Amino acid sequence: MDETVAEYIRRTVLKMPRDEIKMMLQKWGFLSEAQLQTLNFHQIKENISQEVVQLCEENSADIKQAAVLDIIYNHIYQNKRMWSVYQMKKTGDELEYFDLKEFKKKFKRNLRSALKNVTITFREYEDNAIWIRVAWGTPYRKPNQYKPSYVVYHSQTPYVFISASVLKSNLPLLCQALMVASNYHDIREMELRGHSLNSLKDIVFKRYSQNFESYCPKPLQERTVEPESVDLRITEENRSEKERIQRLNREVYGDGPQPILEFAQYMLETMFKSDLKMDVLDKKEPFRCLVKFSSPHLLESLKSLAPAGMAGAPLSPLLTCITQKARNCFRIRDKKGLFPESFVSP
Amino acid sequence: GMFAQLEVLEARAHREAVEQEKKEQREEKLALLESRVRELRLRRDELRDKVDLQEKGGLGKEGMGSDPALPSARNVLEWRIRSLKGLLQVFHLTGISGKLGKGRMSLTLSTAHGGSHLDSFHLEFLTRPELRIRRHSIPSFIPLEQLSRKFLPRDLRGFLDQLSQHLNAFAGRRFQAEQLQEHFSDWIVGTLQGNSLCNLLVFKYNIPGNNRNFPFRARLLYQDPCRSLPTEVVVSCS
Repeated sequence: MDETVAEYIRRTVLKMPRDEIKMMLQKWGFLSEAQLQTLNFHQIKENISQEVVQLCEENSADIKQAAVLDIIYNHIYQNKRMWSVYQMKKTGDELEYFDLKEFKKKFKRNLRSALKNVTITFREYEDNAIWIRVAWGTPYRKPNQYKPSYVVYHSQTPYVFISASVLKSNLPLLCQALMVASNYHDIREMELRGHSLNSLKDIVFKRYSQNFESYCPKPLQERTVEPESVDLRITEENRSEKERIQRLNREVYGDGPQPILEFAQYMLETMFKSDLKMDVLDKKEPFRCLVKFSSPHLLESLKSLAPAGMAGAPLSPLLTCITQKARNCFRIRDKKGLFPESFVSP
Repeated sequence: GMFAQLEVLEARAHREAVEQEKKEQREEKLALLESRVRELRLRRDELRDKVDLQEKGGLGKEGMGSDPALPSARNVLEWRIRSLKGLLQVFHLTGISGKLGKGRMSLTLSTAHGGSHLDSFHLEFLTRPELRIRRHSIPSFIPLEQLSRKFLPRDLRGFLDQLSQHLNAFAGRRFQAEQLQEHFSDWIVGTLQGNSLCNLLVFKYNIPGNNRNFPFRARLLYQDPCRSLPTEVVVSCS
C-alpha cells in the first residue's frame, strides 16, 4: 500500500471522534466485521488509527477507497464546511431521464480531459443526493488529497452545492464538468452561503415551512397554551398588539422551524447627498458600507425580534425576504436617475 | 417583626383567594348546569309542540299553533359549520382546493395514488395586475416555469390540470418505489437506484426459490411525466 494512502487514512481516522470511528468504518465497508472486531476502540486515537492502517494494509487499500472514507466523514460532518449554492440553466425544455451511470461517466470524462491528475469519487445517498469528491493536482503533480472540493447534487434539479477547496482556479473546471454531465448550459453562483447544508437545501427546494392558507384535513397540532395565571391581580397589557405581532410573524415565517443560516450581509453603496452649497467632498466617491448580521440561527432570531419587543413588526422586507429570495448576500445601490432611491440589485 | 406580619397577611390573602376561586368554580358549574337545564326544557317544549302539531293533523291555518320553534341560532351555526367542513373535505378529495382573497389566491394541490393520500403542494397567486405566481412549494424538478409560461395567465384551468397531473404522477411513482422497497425488501438485491423525478428506476432482484447467483436486472423508464406507470421496461439477466 502506498505510503501516502496510509498516511491519508491515518489522518482521516484521527479526525473522527473516538466513539464514532467504529460506525464510520462500518459504513465504509472496506474492512470486514471480523477485522473490525480485532480493533480496540478504547485506546487513544493515535493507536486506533495505526491499527486501522495496518488492517487497510492487509486489504491493500488504494486512494479510491481512502477517498470514500473521507466522503463518509464529510457527509456526517457536513456542517463543518461552508457551502455555496450554484444555479444551472438549461436551454431546452425536454424531459430528462437522469441516469446516474451516464452522469458519472460524463463528469469523469470531462474533468479528466481538462486535468489528468484528479481523484474523483462518487457516493449516493438515500435522499437522491449525489456526493462528488474531487482532489486536485496539476499537470506535473499528483492530486492533493488534503484539500478536496465537495459537490452535492440532486438529480434533475438546477441547484448544486459546492464546498470548494482553497484553490479557486479549479472552480471553472468543476462547473464545466457539472454542466456537461447534467445537461445544462450555464451556471452562476447564487448569493446564498452557509454551513448547514440541509438548510440551504430546504431554502432552494422550498422545503421550509411557508405559511400557505390551505384547508388541512388533519387537525392542527394543538399549540401548547400557557395556562392563564388565574391570579386576577395580574393583567396583560398590550394584548392586541402582541396578537398583531404574532399574526404578522406567522404570515412571514410560518409555523415550522426556520432553516439555519449563520449570517446575512448587506453591501450598501450610496452617494453622499448634500446641499449644493455644502459641497463637502471634492471627489464624487460613493459611500460604501457593509452591514452583517450574524447569529448561530439567524432566521430564528429575526423571527423573535418583534415578539421580544426589540423591533417593530412588520420587519423590513430586506430581512424577511431571505428565504423567499434564497439569498443572504445583498447589494443595495442607489437607483440611478431622477429619484435616487435605494433598490436591491438582482 | 414586620416581615412576619406581612407573611401572615400574605398567607391569609392566599387562603382567601383559593377559597374564593373554589367558590367561583362551584358557581360557574352551577350556572352551566342551570343553562343546560334551560336548554333541555326548551327542547322538550319544542318536541312537545311538534307532537301536538302532528296529532292535530291537517288543521287549517287557524288551528296551527305557534310555529314549531325555530331552530336555535346555535344549531343553525353548527349545521353550517358541518356542511362547510364537508364541502371543504369534498374539495380536498378532488385534489384541488383553494382560497380567494383580496388580490391573492391560494391553491392546494393534493396528490393521491391507489387510495393512499400523499403529499400536498401549495401555490400562491397574485391576481392583480395579472395572474402570476407569488410563491410555491413545488419541487424544482417539476417543470413549473415551463407550464406557467405555456398556460398562464390566460388558461388557469389548463395550467392546474397539467400541474396536477405532473404532481400526482410524480407522487405516485415515488410512492410505488417506496412500497417496492418496503414490501419486497427480501427480493431486491442492494438498493433501488432512481432519481429525483422517479422517472428512471434500476434495481436487481431475485425471485425467491430461484438460484440466487443470477439476479435479474430491471430498468424501468417512465417517459410520460404525467403517468405513474412505466413506458418501457427492460429485464435482463446476466
